[in-house]
Amino acid sequence: MSAPAIALSRLRYAWPGSPTLLDIDHFKLDAGESVFLAGSSGSGKSTLLGLIAGITPCQAGEITILGARMPPDRPGRRDALRAAQLGVIFQLFNLVPYLSPLENVLLPLRFSAERASRLDTAGLSRNEEARRLLGVLGIEGALLERRSTALSVGQQQRVAAARALIGRPGLVIADEPTSALDHDARDAFLDLLATECRATGAALLFVSHDRSLAGRFDRHVDLATINAVRTPA
Amino acid sequence: MNTSLLTLAWKSLANRGVSVSLTILSIVLSVTLFLGVEKIRSGMRESFNSTISGTDLIVGARGGALNLLLYSVFRLGDPTANMGWDSYQLIASAPNVAWAVPISLGDSHRGYRVVGTTTAYFDHYRYGRDRNLDFAAGQAFQDIHQAVLGAEVARRLHYRIGDTITLSHGVGDVSFAEHAGHEFRIVGIIAPTGTPVDRSVHVSLESIEAIHVGWNTGAPPGAASQDGAAPDLTPDSVTAVLVGVTSPIRVLSLQRQINTYRGEALSAIMPGVALSQLWSVIGVGETAFKAISLLVVIVGMSGILTALSAGLNARRREMAVLRAIGARPRDVFALLILEAASIAAAGALIGIVLTQIGFALIAAMVRARYGLDLGGSIGLPELGVLVSVTLAGAMLGVWPAWRAQKNALADGLSIRL
Repeated sequence: MSAPAIALSRLRYAWPGSPTLLDIDHFKLDAGESVFLAGSSGSGKSTLLGLIAGITPCQAGEITILGARMPPDRPGRRDALRAAQLGVIFQLFNLVPYLSPLENVLLPLRFSAERASRLDTAGLSRNEEARRLLGVLGIEGALLERRSTALSVGQQQRVAAARALIGRPGLVIADEPTSALDHDARDAFLDLLATECRATGAALLFVSHDRSLAGRFDRHVDLATINAVRTPA
Repeated sequence: MNTSLLTLAWKSLANRGVSVSLTILSIVLSVTLFLGVEKIRSGMRESFNSTISGTDLIVGARGGALNLLLYSVFRLGDPTANMGWDSYQLIASAPNVAWAVPISLGDSHRGYRVVGTTTAYFDHYRYGRDRNLDFAAGQAFQDIHQAVLGAEVARRLHYRIGDTITLSHGVGDVSFAEHAGHEFRIVGIIAPTGTPVDRSVHVSLESIEAIHVGWNTGAPPGAASQDGAAPDLTPDSVTAVLVGVTSPIRVLSLQRQINTYRGEALSAIMPGVALSQLWSVIGVGETAFKAISLLVVIVGMSGILTALSAGLNARRREMAVLRAIGARPRDVFALLILEAASIAAAGALIGIVLTQIGFALIAAMVRARYGLDLGGSIGLPELGVLVSVTLAGAMLGVWPAWRAQKNALADGLSIRL
């Protein structure tokens, strides 16, 4: 994969009726690279993630994910690109409550034929791959079939990581995934995430306000340095 | 893709067991009510339309078809005139006539009409799908002063075989003109038929003649007119004649012959035609029934709207997760539509099964008591209910589904905590 995982150029965004929130001349995240993006709350982190994930259409400039453009005028195309290439981990409540951890992990394969076929061409069974990822992340045995809501927060986050990684997406974006975890669980989670991203070749964009975590990543970027808009602290 | 969305919908519903079950229950109840009303309605219509079957023509004095049907079959109202005994004999002996059963009306017993007829009545009267009159007890009358009761007469008035009754002149509930001195012994009770036969007292034509000896002026006979000599009990006239023909294709020509008979002004009607005419008049009520039960179904189904709408805010997070995984807004929309349709389909299915079981349980009792056929397997009406309830459920899902889709688009990746 030679195309960068994320390439932003001359990106500008303002929520309707609000002043410009984001003005990024350019930003690049190489394939397979892991980047820590620091930003305080209200700095536009979530908006930027929404734009990169193709949920929010960009108003000006261009977003390219692994060589494919996120077209602002084609929501279906953006949804398909996200389904095929992105894994997303939220801060909390990542799981579909009425599905088991195993079903949660398998879910992205149902929404993207491309993602499923990547496993097929690699000769991997979907079920085995899901169990393998969960196993690596420490979710095994009875936990696999338990109600997702019965899992601890740390376990839920690890299931979410497995779900983000299944089907070998080119990019994983994580929005404060460790802020609800205690210190030990946080370190364990970060190690597993980084290891698995490297193993599957996925680039990682890790967003957090906790700069003490920055040392674990290939690169550290402060949103304030790439964003031309000065947000009030 | 769609099958997996359906799996998602079902797991989501299973996760909200209690509220979903309650919604399904309200649909089950309304569908059961609707199907029950429908079954009873169609059973009654069928039973009505086959109040008399196997009889090809009913002949009476000239008059309206409905009037003839009403007094000859339903024992309602009064004949405008009688027809001559010789006309009956002519019809009975006509070619192509397989059988002819005369009936003579005009008397009653405690409000129940008395039918004077011959024993051929019990052989040829048919109702429903070619069902015979069966005797619950006893047998047909053999002689004068013997009576055969319809099921309701016997049940309501607590009569048994061997009891004696007297008949009244005229058809009022309370008659002051008793046929005193003529006691009738009950020799037979007919099994329930669900037809006016249940409300009739049957005696022989000769019995009718016997109790009217000396009544020529229309007033009870004075002592002077009793001359002791054995009277001739051959009637002069009858009220109507039930006719069966040898072949169905003879019905129309025979009807024309009778209607144009010059010897006496007669009317011949085909009971099936007259019955459906009558039903079109009195069947208006069934439309009201249907409308009401349909409204109940609509009310029952509106619970879907509540069940889905109530959970929407709590599910915004779930929808955002689905979107992040790659679900399109239309997947979110379809998920809720599938949930709504599944609730409706489950309610309809359970309702259909419950109705079948319920009616299977009571069918024997209803048939025995009212002569009404309520059985029947699952057919087109049930299929229609299943399909239309499911579609209506899907339609009801449109509003919450549209809101969920709108929320999902507005929320994006941001999940409110």
